[in-house]
Amino acid sequence: MKRKPIVGIPRALSFYTFYPLWRAFLENLGAKVILSSATNRDILEDGISETVNDACIPIKVFHGHVIDLAERADYLFVPRMISADGVSTYCPKFLGLPDMIRFVGRPLPPIIDARYNLQGFPGGQFRFFRTVAGQLGIKNPFKVYAAGLAALARHRRYMGLLQKGVDPLQASGAVLENKPYRARTSMASTNPGEELKLTVALLGYPYAVFDPYINAGIYDRLNKMGIDVITFEMIPERELKRMSRTIPQSFFWYYSNQVCWAGLYLLENKEIVDGIIHVTAFGCGPDAMVDKLLELEAKQAKVPFISLSIDEHTGEGGVQTRLEAFTDMLRFRKTKQEAAVNR
Amino acid sequence: MKVFLGIDVGSVSTNLVMVDAENNLIDYNYLLTRGQPIQAVQEGMKQIGDKLPPGASVSGVGVTGSARSLIGVAVGADVVKNEITAHAVAADAEMPGVQTVLELGGQDSKIIILRHGVVTDFAMNTVCAAGTGSFLDHQAARLNIPIEDFGRLALNSKHPVQIAGRCSVFAESDMVHKQQMGYKIEDIIAGLCEALVRNYLNNVGKGKEILAPVVFQGGVAANVGIKAAFESALGLEVIVPEHHHVMGAIGSALLARSVMKEGRKSAFRGFALSDLEYEASSFECNGCPNICEIINLSLEGELLARWGGRCGKWENLNG
Repeated sequence: MKRKPIVGIPRALSFYTFYPLWRAFLENLGAKVILSSATNRDILEDGISETVNDACIPIKVFHGHVIDLAERADYLFVPRMISADGVSTYCPKFLGLPDMIRFVGRPLPPIIDARYNLQGFPGGQFRFFRTVAGQLGIKNPFKVYAAGLAALARHRRYMGLLQKGVDPLQASGAVLENKPYRARTSMASTNPGEELKLTVALLGYPYAVFDPYINAGIYDRLNKMGIDVITFEMIPERELKRMSRTIPQSFFWYYSNQVCWAGLYLLENKEIVDGIIHVTAFGCGPDAMVDKLLELEAKQAKVPFISLSIDEHTGEGGVQTRLEAFTDMLRFRKTKQEAAVNR
Repeated sequence: MKVFLGIDVGSVSTNLVMVDAENNLIDYNYLLTRGQPIQAVQEGMKQIGDKLPPGASVSGVGVTGSARSLIGVAVGADVVKNEITAHAVAADAEMPGVQTVLELGGQDSKIIILRHGVVTDFAMNTVCAAGTGSFLDHQAARLNIPIEDFGRLALNSKHPVQIAGRCSVFAESDMVHKQQMGYKIEDIIAGLCEALVRNYLNNVGKGKEILAPVVFQGGVAANVGIKAAFESALGLEVIVPEHHHVMGAIGSALLARSVMKEGRKSAFRGFALSDLEYEASSFECNGCPNICEIINLSLEGELLARWGGRCGKWENLNG
């Protein structure tokens, strides 16, 4: 019997949104899927040495994940992510990602490079599936269609779990292997108990928010301080859509819109969070606008806001000091507000 | 009599203060850290321990600064707080109703906005240390002017020159160029003060609502040239507290006082700690590809604390 082809998925960038979809689809086609290791020092250093100098840290880390897989996989899964909602596009670095990877100066297995673009005619998902299957040498349209349908069902379940506040790793474990899961936070847990309970929004692109190596463990640090964390994935899609209609113009970029609309939603529904933390990668072009917009809107809504910038030199001390100072500020504010309410 | 100790261990200086229960400053000291925070604190403890009023005892200890977790464990602190909160508390005690705190330290700079005694906004410098104390020290040394006279010279200037303050490297080449053109030294120094203030207000102070009263603290507040440049840029009076260089330590002493409620006993190890043998050592953990550098802190040969790992497995001392 022929050995199953091994397809390697880099644990970075769109992985955090599409891993269950990709993995389920590839496995349904009869491939074996492996994942790169969680980001670590070697991956970061390999990434830095193989990427153009002025790319942001998530792009550099992606290169490191590709190198981590290079010797273990028959194929690398690096789709060209163009549009996930048919309107906006991904940031230009996603659009050129397969090309950037081809120019990594090390021997790499062949790249599965399919366009993921839901713009134009309906059925973009299946155009994507057909291209992927074709590059693996699978032509049978019925097999591809069935594999795609089943994978889309997993993807919907995954998105549902993210919305419930399950983090991407646990949610994909639950969707793909029926592992148990637990939501870290829920949108309804904001009422103050005996101790003053804080909830903050950690807004940013999933590959920056959920990779503890590149963000100095912001999420875990907040959890350790006993603070509940809301991310944009947890806000219902119809609310995000609604927010998009409250501003004169949305951004061109998919994730930027999600972050911006989520921020606006939380500023409209102030009872949900005590403050907003924006995690942004140093040198991120789209964030130059997203960050300023959130800062100005938060100021107008009188909701505390801080922007934390991450790059390869991010010091843990600096992040910890800023988080402590920010949460101290939220706590003082809340005590004062509650004293005023009880008066 | 009850006294409270506050310790601020920063990148450049280590400060200890002793306050009484009515917030009066009994004694303080200002030492250079020189990369050895434990030794600096031990030295400071020795000095300040001698000033302990007869019959008084230490009822609480607060620690702040970038080495706060290390020193917190070493001295047995009751409260370990970040620098922003400590500076805000101190400024509000010094000048009730303060609305803006400008803080320029050795390697970082902050702005804190308060309203009705509560911090409402703050910012710290990000990747660049231009305009902090270390840079001023460096320039003073290069021009062969004692740092104490640096600010005063700036006040003599009638026509400050234009210096690029965006980056300390370019600021330096600009200053060298202006010297070679023959500008007077006081005009160059005044230009530098203005450039630093401009840089601070455009970066750290960007988008912040700066209202009076404005308090200026940190080591750089001793520089009258920078103070004057702030006043002219803001159009507001800038107040420099008498003990501006130890405000972080004062803030942590006040925080210690507020957490030590009736009956709670301080964890302070006593002034004798300055004679004890602390040892900080490190090793690389090879448990995973992260290769974290783990730091061990031991006191008289006994392990006190361990940290530095990303996963937290070393924090358990029995592990």
